[in-house]
Amino acid sequence: RKLRAAVIGGGPAGSSAAESLASGGVETFLFERSPSSAKPCGGAIPLCMLDEFDLPHSLVDRHVTEMRVISPSNITVDFGKTLRPHEFIAMLRREVLDSFLRSRAESRGAELITGLVTDLELPRSSSSPYVVHYTSGGSKRSLAVDVVVGADGANSRVAKSIGAGEYSYAIAFQERIRLPDEKMKYYENLAEMYLGDDVSPDFYAWVFPKCDHVAVGTGTVRSKREIKAYQRGIRERARPKIEGGQVIKVEAHPIPEHPRPVRVRGRVALVGDAAGYVTKCSGEGIYFAAKSGRMCGEGIVKASEGGARMVGEEDLRREYLRQWDDRYVSTYRVLDLLEKVFYGSNWGREAMVELCGGEYVQRVSLESYMYKRLVEGDRWEGVKMAASTVATLVRCKIMSGEMGRLKAIA
Amino acid sequence: MSISMALFSPPAPNLRTLLSSPRSLPKPRLTLKPSPSLMPKAPAFFAVSASSDNGAGAVPSSAVAVEEQGEPKVAVEPAKEPERENGSVASAPEEGAVAVAKFNDSRWVGGTWNLKQFQKDGSTDWDAVIDAEVRRRKWLEDNPESSSNDDPVVFDTSIIPWWAWMKRFHLPEAELLNGRAAMIGFFMAYLVDSLTGVGLVDQMGNFFCKTLLFIAVVGVLVIRKNEDVETIKKLIEETTFYDKQWQATWQDDNSGSSKNG
Repeated sequence: RKLRAAVIGGGPAGSSAAESLASGGVETFLFERSPSSAKPCGGAIPLCMLDEFDLPHSLVDRHVTEMRVISPSNITVDFGKTLRPHEFIAMLRREVLDSFLRSRAESRGAELITGLVTDLELPRSSSSPYVVHYTSGGSKRSLAVDVVVGADGANSRVAKSIGAGEYSYAIAFQERIRLPDEKMKYYENLAEMYLGDDVSPDFYAWVFPKCDHVAVGTGTVRSKREIKAYQRGIRERARPKIEGGQVIKVEAHPIPEHPRPVRVRGRVALVGDAAGYVTKCSGEGIYFAAKSGRMCGEGIVKASEGGARMVGEEDLRREYLRQWDDRYVSTYRVLDLLEKVFYGSNWGREAMVELCGGEYVQRVSLESYMYKRLVEGDRWEGVKMAASTVATLVRCKIMSGEMGRLKAIA
Repeated sequence: MSISMALFSPPAPNLRTLLSSPRSLPKPRLTLKPSPSLMPKAPAFFAVSASSDNGAGAVPSSAVAVEEQGEPKVAVEPAKEPERENGSVASAPEEGAVAVAKFNDSRWVGGTWNLKQFQKDGSTDWDAVIDAEVRRRKWLEDNPESSSNDDPVVFDTSIIPWWAWMKRFHLPEAELLNGRAAMIGFFMAYLVDSLTGVGLVDQMGNFFCKTLLFIAVVGVLVIRKNEDVETIKKLIEETTFYDKQWQATWQDDNSGSSKNG
C-alpha cells in the first residue's frame, strides 16, 4: 500500500508539504483546526515566492516599493530607489494566502481534515504507525499514519509530542488601524520600520499597509512584559501619520528566535515556525515556512520512491534536514550577525540607518531579500561597503560614548 | 564654541577609549559644557579646574565645588541649557501632545546642522558639530519624538571629515597605548638584556623575542581594561551560540535514534 503521511497545520508550511507529498504519490492528510482564521502576521513575502509557488497576483493586496527606515533620532532613509519597475515587496492577507495554498494542496490529492489535533501517539516499534488523535465535528477521532510533518506553528503540539525542545521567542504585537483616506494615501506603496529603545529594545516597530488599513506593531524578545509600553512608543513615533485612525483589531503572536534543538525525530519532521525557521533581523517566516514544507514533502517522496517504500529517520535527515541546512544556514547566520550588530543598541541602529542610505547597501539587501540568493556584487563596491560599515559603526559608537558622558554630567 | 575650551586643557589626560563604554569623566570636560557666553572668562576658570584634577575619588565633588564658587554663571548654565531648548518650544503650539517638548536648536535647520553657523576662524568647527549632534541624539533618546513627513531629518555623520574624528578621539588614545607599549618594551628589553646579555639589536633578530613583542603589542591593543578579557570571552561565545542552536538537531544523531525507528 502507499505511504500514509499526516501534515498537522494548514498554513503555508503545511499546505506546501501536503502539496508536494500528494503530488508525489503519497497518501496525504492535511489537518487544519480553523481554516477561516487570520493568523496575526506582517504579511510580506519576497518576489521569488510569487514565482516559486505560482501565486497569482490577485492575491497581493499591495505592492510596496518604498520602505522607510527611521532611526532613534528620527534620521530617515528611503529604501527602494534601486528597485526595478517590476520589483516590489508583496503584502497580502494571511487568510487569503493560506486558503489558496490549502485548496491547491487539496486539488493535488491531499485530504483536508478540519479538526484540532490533540495528541500524537508515538509508535512502539519501527514498523508501527503514528496515531494522530484529533477532535472534529465534536467527536474524537484518530488516524494511523506512517510519517508525520509537524507544521503547526510556534506552539507546535507535534514538537511537544516528540520532545523537540524549546526555543526562545519574540512577542509580536500589532494593532490594525483604519486610517482616514488622505493619511492612507501616504502608505499606498510605503512601509515603515522604526528603530529605537522607545519602540523596541531588540527588534523594530513597523507600520505596514494592508488591504484597507495599516498594521502598527512592535516586537521584543527580552522585554515581553513591556510590550504595551513599546506599542505606545510606536503609536507616538508615528503619531502625525496615524492620528485620527480607528483601531479595528488587536493581535499578538509568538515568533521563534532560533530552531528547536530537535527538528527530526523518528518519522516526524518539523517545518516552518514549528521548527523555528524565522530569520533574525527581518523576522521573515512565510517564505521559509513554505519552502521548508515543500522541501520536506519532496524529500519524503524521494526517500519513499513515490510512496512505495517506508521511510526512516535517516531518510528524513538526509533528504530534508541536510538539504535545508546546506542551503539556508548561511543566510540565517548572516541575519543573526546583522541583528546582533545593528539592533542591540541605539548607536547600532543609528549606524544601520546611516548605512542604509547608501545605494549599494540598498541594492544588495533588497536583492538578497527578494531572490533569496547572494547576489554577485561588484568587488570594489563590496570593499567600500565594508569600510563604510566599520567607519559608520565607529562614529556612532563614539557619539554614543559622548552621549553617555553627557548623561553622567546631567 | 566648546572646542576652544578643550584647547585650554591639554595637560589633563583624555581617558576616553574608542570602543569601550563610557566610564570616568575627564574632569576638565565637566566644566566645558557651559554655553559660549562664558568664553571671555574661560581661560582663568579652566586653569583653576585643570589643576584641581589631581585627586581621584574626590574629583567629582571638587570640580563641582569649583564650578559653584568660581563663576555663578557657570553653575546656572548647565541647568539652563535644557530649559533654553524647552523654553523655545513653549511658544510654538504643539500638535495636541501635552508635555512633550520638541528638539530645538537655532543651528538645526531643515533636518540637518547648518554648517555655516559652526564657523570658527573661517573654517567649520567640527568638534562643535559632533557635540551638537550628540546632544540632539541624547535629547531624542530621552524624549522620543514622532517622526513627521513635514520636517524629515537628513543628517549624515559622514559629512564630518575623518580627520576631525581622528584628532579628537583616536589620537589621545593612540598616545596612551603607545606610551604603555613603550614602557613595557623598554622594561622587557632591559630585563632580557640583564638576564641574557643579549643587546636590543640582537634581541630583535631572535624569533622568540619577536613573538613576545607581537604578543605584547596585540595585548595592549586588545586588552585595555581588566573587563576586556571577560568581554572578549563573552563575544566569542555569543558569535558561536546561534550556530550551536542550528547544529543541535544533528547532535541527536548518535543518541536515541533507535527509540522510534
